[in-house]
Amino acid sequence: MGAGSEGSASGAGAKVRLGVFKLASCDGCQLQLLSCEDELLALTEHVEIVSFAEATSRPDDGGPLDLTLVEGSVSTEAQREHLQEVRARSRFLVTIGACATAGGIQALRNGRDVGELLRVVYAQPAYVDTLAESTPVADHVPVDFSLRGCPIDKGQLLELIGALLAGRKPAIRDESVCMECKRSGQVCVMVAKGEACLGPVTHAGCGALCPTFGRGCYGCFGPKEGAQVAALGARFEAEGMDAETRRRRFKLFTGWAPAFREESER
Amino acid sequence: MSDPVLRRLPKAALGALIARLGQTHTVRGPRVRDGAIVFGEVEAAEDLPRGWTDAQGPGRYRLEREGEAVFEGYVVGPDSPKRAHFPAREVLYTAERRADGKVGFAPVEATPGRTAWLGVRACDLAAERVRGAVFEAGGEPRPAARGREDLRVAVSCTKPGELCFCASTGTGPRAGEGADLVLTEREDDFLIEAPSEAGKAVLADLPVEPAEEGAEAWLDAAMEAAEGAMGRAVEMDGLPEKLLGRLDHPRWDEVAERCLACGNCTSVCPTCFCSTTESPVAISATGIGTVEGGAVEVGAGEAAQVRLWDSCFTEEHAYMHGGTLRPTVKARYRQWLTHKVGSWVAQFGTSGCVGCGRCIAWCPVGIDLTEEIAALREGEGELALPVLREAPLEDEDLVPSVAEVVGVRRESADVVTLRVKSERLAGFGPGQFTQLSLPGVGEAPISISGEEAGAIEHTIRGVGAVTKALCALEEGDELGVRGPYGRGWPMEALEGAPVVVVAGGIGLAPLRDALRKMVGSPASYPEVHLVYGARTPDDVLYAQEMLGWLGGPHFRLHVTVDRAAPSWRGHIGVVTRLLDEESVPEGARAILCGPEIMMRFTVEALGKLGVPDERIWVTMERHMECATGTCGRCQLGPYFVCRDGPVFRFDQVRALFGQEGF
Repeated sequence: MGAGSEGSASGAGAKVRLGVFKLASCDGCQLQLLSCEDELLALTEHVEIVSFAEATSRPDDGGPLDLTLVEGSVSTEAQREHLQEVRARSRFLVTIGACATAGGIQALRNGRDVGELLRVVYAQPAYVDTLAESTPVADHVPVDFSLRGCPIDKGQLLELIGALLAGRKPAIRDESVCMECKRSGQVCVMVAKGEACLGPVTHAGCGALCPTFGRGCYGCFGPKEGAQVAALGARFEAEGMDAETRRRRFKLFTGWAPAFREESER
Repeated sequence: MSDPVLRRLPKAALGALIARLGQTHTVRGPRVRDGAIVFGEVEAAEDLPRGWTDAQGPGRYRLEREGEAVFEGYVVGPDSPKRAHFPAREVLYTAERRADGKVGFAPVEATPGRTAWLGVRACDLAAERVRGAVFEAGGEPRPAARGREDLRVAVSCTKPGELCFCASTGTGPRAGEGADLVLTEREDDFLIEAPSEAGKAVLADLPVEPAEEGAEAWLDAAMEAAEGAMGRAVEMDGLPEKLLGRLDHPRWDEVAERCLACGNCTSVCPTCFCSTTESPVAISATGIGTVEGGAVEVGAGEAAQVRLWDSCFTEEHAYMHGGTLRPTVKARYRQWLTHKVGSWVAQFGTSGCVGCGRCIAWCPVGIDLTEEIAALREGEGELALPVLREAPLEDEDLVPSVAEVVGVRRESADVVTLRVKSERLAGFGPGQFTQLSLPGVGEAPISISGEEAGAIEHTIRGVGAVTKALCALEEGDELGVRGPYGRGWPMEALEGAPVVVVAGGIGLAPLRDALRKMVGSPASYPEVHLVYGARTPDDVLYAQEMLGWLGGPHFRLHVTVDRAAPSWRGHIGVVTRLLDEESVPEGARAILCGPEIMMRFTVEALGKLGVPDERIWVTMERHMECATGTCGRCQLGPYFVCRDGPVFRFDQVRALFGQEGF
């Protein structure tokens, strides 16, 4: 059958102008784009990379962007300003990963005395410029879509770009990790092994990676819609977990997401 | 059973049985994997979990070493043959949309698996019959086709588990119906019988001998003992009416506190069939979906229609333009249970529960449906709704046919009428709908608004990705069509009486064809009133055509808008303000289409004007995907809106109308 992306959002011939930016993050999520080895060449037929520091040294032309991927949380005043600039030139802004979507592992500092932390961690705290809290992108600018995960899933990234090119809704399902786990025929690690698994309250997208390897999900995709976190926490305790361990379970890469935060403070 | 003759199979001959099955089939049987007993390939008797037992409880499953039995130490695990016959993910068809606007669809056939299922239980066989009834009703042949050449070597359970209750559901413990061979394990041998011809052929090649005298009586006694040894019991009698009549029972709130809405119960249930579809496009030639038995190759730029297991516990399951009908866990659990052991009976003539206990064991928080049912039985209220289901659909092809756009008419700023040439849609009735699709974009249910010069018209408002793409089509482009589907307007029941047609916004589209027929036949429809509400004067649909209808003395038009410029001389306000003795004559019948809130107030107003529920018909809208009653998404209590509706006589749905979560 023939090739092409007819009916695409970009119109005939015109390429989608892509920008990839980072705030406070490890770069792992944007590298997932470069990991799309089989699809990269095909993608460049549809996509023009305007700004992507990990991939090109060509200067950003500063013009409008059709698709913007933002990695990382807002951790400094400079990042907040940079984010505003990026939003202003973006048509469709997507946050990628746990940091951009939920504040990231660096949000563990939130709610604590940041000055005290600086003194403990850094030899020269005076050189460190930081906000008191690490916050998700959506706290600062409107976000059109979010890809979850630490890091994001390559398949979901391609699905998002493919859907944008075709002008359709991305098939990125806000369902539990259990749905993917069961579709792929895994045996439930919680029921069969007593592993504490966050899968039932966690947004799908990883393909149930951890349970596939016999361990419980630790929630790096963050809470799914309507996550029944307290009910799961209660089950953990009924199975013998102490309250402090339970709290820490929900305090990881997406611990600042409201549903998980609530459970880690309960 | 066709062959009641019992024979003995020595335990040492189990290998011979497996080898014999393996001559013609792939043998799949119980295997230990990742701490559970699941179905896997079996090549020798040593592969079977001899000496393993499963300790099961709510939310708990552990394998332990105990005894020497091959099958009797354990019951069912999380897996079932459902996965092979109704794959968790399958490609229904591949599709392409070329630069010239032409489209193509290539079906992906379901091929028989030729699997010999060793060690399936009576509940598994029952579940296959239940699934069979579901897919047969919707004319969906794939699941049955996959299992057509399978063999089923079942085991009758002499030692039911802690979570088993098949004695209550009447689906076990004795295996027979649907089995080719039935084994009952004893200490030193198996009793074996062959209910089918295929089973007899296998049996003829095995080293069996006639069972001893009294074996029959031993088996009967063992089965009776097993019935009494079930770890769980449920009173199933009257559940459909009781559950539907107790939608406000406090137990629903209580269980919603514990339920995670994770979908584990529906995923392990051997009868749950809800599915969804995705329409991905391959960016490079790496293939999209994998079907059991082989990957489907999808070329770069090509699209596929992928069907995957869904659950009524997901938010998306009941999603309709901008929101979900079931935002709360309470509404989702209630939908699941009222369907599983309730409305399933009206839909398919059988309960959806086979008493296997999987949903109890594999619920991460151990919710026990037998406990929930028992609690819900303690209460007041019963509701019986009429069964509307008609004959099964025959070979309803989920693969669209190619249709050509022969004309496009812009009706308003965001509404377009597509004129489509399609033989598949010939013979539709007023009020029916079709599924229109574009490869790689998706599919959407759209009502038929009429036929003119051999072209079938669809009036579409561009709100989502699919409808916007449909609205952007041009003459000469192609699209996919399926249908026509559903129950339309009751044109015969409307004859001879004054008819009041109440429409809101785009709701006029499904009424247009009925209006045309009535306006064109004054002898049958002596008085027709159209009461129509639009957002603004510019949003009024079919204005020119309606002005033409005014020529006939039997047609009256009453229009109102939500807001308008000062130059508008007509009514402003909701449609119900136009309902009075003049627009609703004595003895009138009414047909309604519009937002549910509009229909609710309209029905109330009509009631005050003396129109009873039995003379009002409404069109319901729910999340429809398959349009054949097999994806499970558009349920309204016992009804599938796609099959039993979209048009309902109001008295049939009044009890559920406006009910949260339905």
